[in-house]
Amino acid sequence: MKVTNQQIQDMYTCMKKIRAFETKAMDVFAEGSIPGFVHLYIGEEAVAAGVCQHLNDNDYITSTHRGHGHIIAKGGDLKYMMAELFGKSDGYCKGKGGSMHIADASKGILGANGIVGAGHNIATGAGLSISYRKTDQVCVCFFGDASTNQGTFHESLNLASIWKLPIVFVCENNGYGISMSQKHHMAIKDVADRAVAYGIPGISVDGNDVLAVYEAAGEAIKRARSGLGPTLLECKTYRHRGHFEGDPGTYKPKEEQESWLEKDPLFRLAAYMTDTNIATRDEILKIDAAVDKEITKAVEFAMESPVPALEKVVEDIYSDIIEEVRVR
Amino acid sequence: MVSIGIIANPASGKDIRRLVSYATVIDNNEKLNIVKRIVLAAQALGVTDIYFMPDTFCMGLRVEEDLAREKALLAHCHVLDIPMTASQRDTVRAAEEMEALGVGCIVALGGDGTSRAVAKSIVQTPLLPVSTGTNNVYPRMLEGTVAGMAAAAVALSDTPKLTCLRDKRIELYRKGELADIALIDVVISTDMFIGARAIWDAESIRKVIVTRVHPASIGFSAIAGGLCIIRPEEDLGCSVDLSEGGTSVLVPIAAGLIQEVSIKNAEVCHLDTDLTYRMEQNCVAALDGEREITLKQGDELTVRITRKGPWRVDVNKTLEQAQERGLFRK
Repeated sequence: MKVTNQQIQDMYTCMKKIRAFETKAMDVFAEGSIPGFVHLYIGEEAVAAGVCQHLNDNDYITSTHRGHGHIIAKGGDLKYMMAELFGKSDGYCKGKGGSMHIADASKGILGANGIVGAGHNIATGAGLSISYRKTDQVCVCFFGDASTNQGTFHESLNLASIWKLPIVFVCENNGYGISMSQKHHMAIKDVADRAVAYGIPGISVDGNDVLAVYEAAGEAIKRARSGLGPTLLECKTYRHRGHFEGDPGTYKPKEEQESWLEKDPLFRLAAYMTDTNIATRDEILKIDAAVDKEITKAVEFAMESPVPALEKVVEDIYSDIIEEVRVR
Repeated sequence: MVSIGIIANPASGKDIRRLVSYATVIDNNEKLNIVKRIVLAAQALGVTDIYFMPDTFCMGLRVEEDLAREKALLAHCHVLDIPMTASQRDTVRAAEEMEALGVGCIVALGGDGTSRAVAKSIVQTPLLPVSTGTNNVYPRMLEGTVAGMAAAAVALSDTPKLTCLRDKRIELYRKGELADIALIDVVISTDMFIGARAIWDAESIRKVIVTRVHPASIGFSAIAGGLCIIRPEEDLGCSVDLSEGGTSVLVPIAAGLIQEVSIKNAEVCHLDTDLTYRMEQNCVAALDGEREITLKQGDELTVRITRKGPWRVDVNKTLEQAQERGLFRK
């Protein structure tokens, strides 16, 4: 699959943006500046960046509790995301949803989701909508390894396969469901094996190699856009942090953590770019500095934004659109 | 003690060719089932110890637990105590350990890439490759029971190499140093990155060097298969240049994927002869179907075909000889 130097630089910028956003979220959470929970995507950046490089604003994604990376890669605005984490009224959900409910319909982001496995069904609904409207959109459903033990995964892949829906199911297999190692919650090692049961292609790739993800996702998305139906794409990766901030991750063996740190996707891509003359070290540092500036601005924006007023607490619970539909 | 080694690659048969072609899917539970059949057959013929490569699916432990629970296990099972990296390094290291332990035969389950990884470290141990990968030329599709019997027959033989063929291999040298090997083919492609590793798009291929050629083959070694035949036992190889305006041939590049390829030049080459190529642009060298080495414009790569590959078990000959020695008589 062809890839231009510009596309590779764009993927690096995207991964750096995710890393910097998450590192800042980690810091402000530790300071006690943000309420609620955050589940960080550090270490898994190559998956969101490699997949979303093929998508445009008309395409859909569904996300998870660990959703910041997907939202950034799909074009979410860092200012509104950060303001949401801070619980401020300029945030994506007016400060009332927090990290796990960020959505942006204008970018096809159908929402992060605090319920494990709930994204599978939302993606299947979006896929059915695309199929019904006969457009060339696709929907990418991001989810973790442990969520594939939920009934929603099986229901969704079954329907998507029967109806040949344009969905790419992207499993981010980071080896753990909260603190439980995959070997204790699943009798198989490769989630891709589950595709056989639904008669769809299932493949595994190195999720810490953005070019491997880019290539495999490109083929799966091409397949979905051509009406050939869904694919299960498993990306083997690792989260550097605990399940959530505050989880020390003591269940992860030291040697395991060290071996994955050696495979850090961001550093691997930077090394590839300099080795192959796609970018010089200075050019990469320039990208890093621009991203850091953007993050600083996002934090300033969030801090300056007001806290939502108390009377707003019961607003935005139900949508007017639902009422209109009911009247008809 | 009569021992064999089993290396079952848990990653084979799951690559991108399931998306871009019609490649076979063999999941790890099926591989486990094949390994059990190998163990059962080998122990029935007299193998007492079986060594396993540790892998992410815990194939060795599962075989031992399942067969012991079913009261069907006679042989001693040992999972090698080596660090696991979930990469090709595990296969290379396990094969090295098995040879050091003196196992009578190594059974490798996987594709061409798995056999290549085993061949990187073994020198004397007979190799019995069983196909569970994609586009396989080197390993055979073989029933596990028969593979287990053949592995046992080799391990129990006083003259195991009589029923093995020492295969050819392609050695790749960079700056005078041996950088890597391939058993079947080396492909130079204009791809820029290693990415999903598998290679299937003939349009990006510029050069193919192969140890064997046959029209009944699949993958890049089949490219010259429309023009000539070079058998494993012949001391020859073939170098093919691809570009527009040459002889057009239809080639089974991947499972269910027949592509038209334009052969500009095809030359038979002799063993132990150096072929040196200078890269005209950034490109990738794929070894036995997997992109492995990125090459920059101006880099030089020297390729040499030798008869230093592994001793591959000829299953039919081995079992015929075992029958003659009375191995199956009670």
